[in-house]
Amino acid sequence: MKKNLLYLFAVLTIVASFSGCSEKQDFDQFDDLDITPTVEASIIYIESPENLINLAAGINFFTGDFNFDAFNEDFVAERVLEGLVIYELENTTSKPIDVSFQFLDAAGNILDTESFSIPPAPTAVLRREVAYGGATGRSIDIITNTSAIRVNAINQGDSTSVSSLPDPKIILRSSAQLRIRLK
Amino acid sequence: MKRIHLFCFALFIGCSGLFAQNKQLLYDFVEIPQALMVNPGMQTDFKWYAGVPLLSGLSVQAGTSGLSVHDIFADDGLDINDKVRERAVYGLNTRDMIGTTVQIELLSGGFRPANRPKDFYSFGIYHETDFVNYWPQDLAFLGYDGNANQLGRRYRLDDLKLRGEILNVFHFGINREVNPNLTVGARAKIYSGILDFNSTANEGYFVTNEGQENLLSSTLVSDMQLRTSGYEEIKEALDDDVPGDNGTRLRDVFVKRGFLGGDLGLGLDLGFSYNLNEQTTITGSVLDIGFIYHYSDPKNYTLEGQATTEGVRIILPNALVNPSGDFWQDLVDEIEELVPFEDNTNSYINFRPTKLYGSIRYSFGEPDGTAENCNCDYRVSGSRSSGIRYRNSLGGQLFVINRPRGPQAAVTAFYQRRFGRALSLKATYTADKFTFTNVGLGLNMQAGPVNLYLMADNLLAYQNIADSNYASFQFGLNIISWDRN
Repeated sequence: MKKNLLYLFAVLTIVASFSGCSEKQDFDQFDDLDITPTVEASIIYIESPENLINLAAGINFFTGDFNFDAFNEDFVAERVLEGLVIYELENTTSKPIDVSFQFLDAAGNILDTESFSIPPAPTAVLRREVAYGGATGRSIDIITNTSAIRVNAINQGDSTSVSSLPDPKIILRSSAQLRIRLK
Repeated sequence: MKRIHLFCFALFIGCSGLFAQNKQLLYDFVEIPQALMVNPGMQTDFKWYAGVPLLSGLSVQAGTSGLSVHDIFADDGLDINDKVRERAVYGLNTRDMIGTTVQIELLSGGFRPANRPKDFYSFGIYHETDFVNYWPQDLAFLGYDGNANQLGRRYRLDDLKLRGEILNVFHFGINREVNPNLTVGARAKIYSGILDFNSTANEGYFVTNEGQENLLSSTLVSDMQLRTSGYEEIKEALDDDVPGDNGTRLRDVFVKRGFLGGDLGLGLDLGFSYNLNEQTTITGSVLDIGFIYHYSDPKNYTLEGQATTEGVRIILPNALVNPSGDFWQDLVDEIEELVPFEDNTNSYINFRPTKLYGSIRYSFGEPDGTAENCNCDYRVSGSRSSGIRYRNSLGGQLFVINRPRGPQAAVTAFYQRRFGRALSLKATYTADKFTFTNVGLGLNMQAGPVNLYLMADNLLAYQNIADSNYASFQFGLNIISWDRN
């Protein structure tokens, strides 16, 4: 009898061990999980020396369309939530310069234009941030549909003077921050 | 395609939440034949045994360190985004891991040859699935927050360490009583690899700095590799949407590769038991000293090189030389050339995760005497004392396993109580990196020739299994004979 009770006790202990409890879990929470990292990288860098500006036939000394598929890659275009494009212009030439920066779609249509006027040297670096998406930014569709960038630079001064600064040039720097949804 | 997703999901679920290969409850549980699998030099007194196919040994072990299901999915009213951020992304580090091991004996048996009564031969086939993944801390930071406003921060690529394998093991072991105090054993293994993947030797980093010309420079220095074998065959079987297939192709691939038609390897287990005196025994074993040569269906992926970019760079007047040039594509091509993502079909060798066990056992109390009474233990005859089993045993065990980030250890204290040959209980307390509150209980029952054992770990966590960092379960059913030769 004692032996049987012992068996019973042992079996019950083991069985009880395996019948574990669990506090209530809510796996539906997974639907609410947002994974939205913000990534950043440079976009385009352009520089033109002052002697090239002086050599140009007209005041429009540079116009160029550049293929740029970083934004409309499927992975980005389908997931981007917000964007921030940062421009920085530095002018060490002796002349005021206007620069326009345009986003184009695959058909060549202009989606957005950002214009800058920078006075002759000496002048501070011109920095501008343009937001896309979110409550106050421009349409995020501009980012997702951008397939090319057009840069247009106009000399608003003369074509003979030369800056006294070393290696005078006009420089356009740009970078972008994109918040993308991974989950 | 859907089936591939399902397969991967099933694999992930099967692997998540989990790890450890320590079988501290089974180790040196001399009444159970399967204990020979963790120490081929265990003291044995069986004449023969036969495992019930598929039921003789089932072992499921799983663990996470640093995080439990409950930590993320508890119905506690907290925002899951806060929980994931605090407890996973910023709560775990590269030492934390998730892992699982599943073993199923397909066939198991053993016998004592009539002309060699001091030898015991055991053999069988078992299936094993093993997976381990360390928390890729820097990649998790990068994936969760991104690289914005993190100038100078290096995201280390060597944080990625994972390996997994599915294989069948064919084995044959010899256990020999050298003298009344020393028993040694060895087991030879043939591994038949079904699926293997590993990415453990990665190097490099990704960093964003202030650019020299442009606003930012992005640098990738990478020496990464993912090696797989068997995946292509499995993927093909899953992709092949033959009507009425019902998984036949997949099953055929598993059967073919699992029964010596896939990758092959060799392994060896060694073990011993030594009686320091009549009541004190030390044991030790080293398991899976071996390798698998993955040659049947290898497919490896590499990302190797280094590149720094500051975006599209247009320097006038040089850029005007080719006004229709595609600077973006040139940039992409240049990066792909500097850091090519390539694949190859090179064969490779993988060493098995070697395990080491050691123990000291002190037995006390009234000798059981069952063996003598039943006249069924061959060792009881003559002056041998190794067959005597005391009612109580107390001791400690050590377990070490070789893992991608170095050895992991666990220490165990145990107490075993025998109630004749019919019943034996073993209780353990184990401390390892997963938990310091791991209390386990094992039960071995012998009803005539029928042997049944049940074991479970981390019993305290069963109050809320979702909050557990570790769980294991073992079960087996055998037919055992101790009859005289």
